[in-house]
Amino acid sequence: MKDKPVFAVVFMFVLTAVCSFILIGLARLTSGHVKANEQLAFETAVIKAFPQIQGTSQEEPHTLFLRDFVKTKNDAVYLYQPQGKLSGYAIAIEGKGFWDKIRCVIGIAADQKTITGIYFYEQAETPGLGARITEPAFYEQFSGKTLADGDRPLRIRQAGSVIGQSDVAAVTGATQTCIRVETMINDALAAWKQEPVQ
Amino acid sequence: MTPQPTQKPMRQIMLDCLWYDNPIFRQILFICSTLAVTNVVANTLVMCIALSLVTALSCLTVSALRNWTPRTIRMMVQVLIIAFYVIIVDLLLRAYWPQMSRNLGPYVGLIITNCIVMGRCEAFAGSNKPWPAFVDGLFSGFGYAFVLIGISIVRELLGMGTILGFPMPYFSTHWDKWIIMVMPPSGFFILALVLWGLRSIDVKGKKPC
Repeated sequence: MKDKPVFAVVFMFVLTAVCSFILIGLARLTSGHVKANEQLAFETAVIKAFPQIQGTSQEEPHTLFLRDFVKTKNDAVYLYQPQGKLSGYAIAIEGKGFWDKIRCVIGIAADQKTITGIYFYEQAETPGLGARITEPAFYEQFSGKTLADGDRPLRIRQAGSVIGQSDVAAVTGATQTCIRVETMINDALAAWKQEPVQ
Repeated sequence: MTPQPTQKPMRQIMLDCLWYDNPIFRQILFICSTLAVTNVVANTLVMCIALSLVTALSCLTVSALRNWTPRTIRMMVQVLIIAFYVIIVDLLLRAYWPQMSRNLGPYVGLIITNCIVMGRCEAFAGSNKPWPAFVDGLFSGFGYAFVLIGISIVRELLGMGTILGFPMPYFSTHWDKWIIMVMPPSGFFILALVLWGLRSIDVKGKKPC
């Protein structure tokens, strides 16, 4: 019986059905967790883009996010409104890195000029090189910088160059990552500036 | 029906998997992941645990089904079973350990194409009882693990000055970090040195290769 071709077909069919059944069940069970994880990573990044919040509050990122941030018509832009007063903008940015997608959130103060902070919450750059964009030494440079006029409001400059009010220093050895990060930030900022202020 | 081979004692199975037939330095299997996941010790540890579990459970299942599986489609069945366990591991990591899931990237999924799992299923589990097959799979995973963890310790220490993310004395302060160590090519160099070193050791009964 075992050597009949039809047995092989039935055997494979049944085994595949059983495996798929279990996997679909498991995927459904965990999908809530996966979505919640992604949302929490985003919310945490939004909070981190406004370093002044962390100093004053011990609350969970999720509570803070729900209380102080308001979604706008543009999915990528959130208004930072503690006590109902507009104090800044959180812009979600997504773009191509050297290896994989990079996602970050940049915080802009209410004057629409000053960067409050930036935080990279998803990336798969080379560990020890491009991946260092997630280290404070890199992203903390952004806080307090002013956006320049023109089509490149922010520049990531090679080590050794003069760092102006609209420049940050690149990660050494991660030129490709930095070029892409600069492009994605500037594109997102340009898109945001074209939107009417709400 | 394949003839039942003479039973190997459990101790011999374990020793073979860990040393005499070690998947990395004897059989040279699954070298691709050796290059990719050994840059940081934490990633390596999780990868090794995932691989050991997948290998052990796949071998167990393949062995349990061996008397019913038609020989003509046994490879298909093996791949299906391996993929089944790998997807479970991937789902669990994504749901409960998202950070690690991001660190490992595509490599968890690539366990499916891992020659160690397939190799053990085909060479051992297909013709042995479930329990020895489980032990064989698990210890093949361990054999893979100890070599990779060794490589990753060297790479993380020289490349980043840390081990498991903890700064090490001297290496985190005075050591001039070797950037090449965190890049994939250094995996080749260290692996080559490990192969050279371990294969030169004269194991009893077997000449150095």
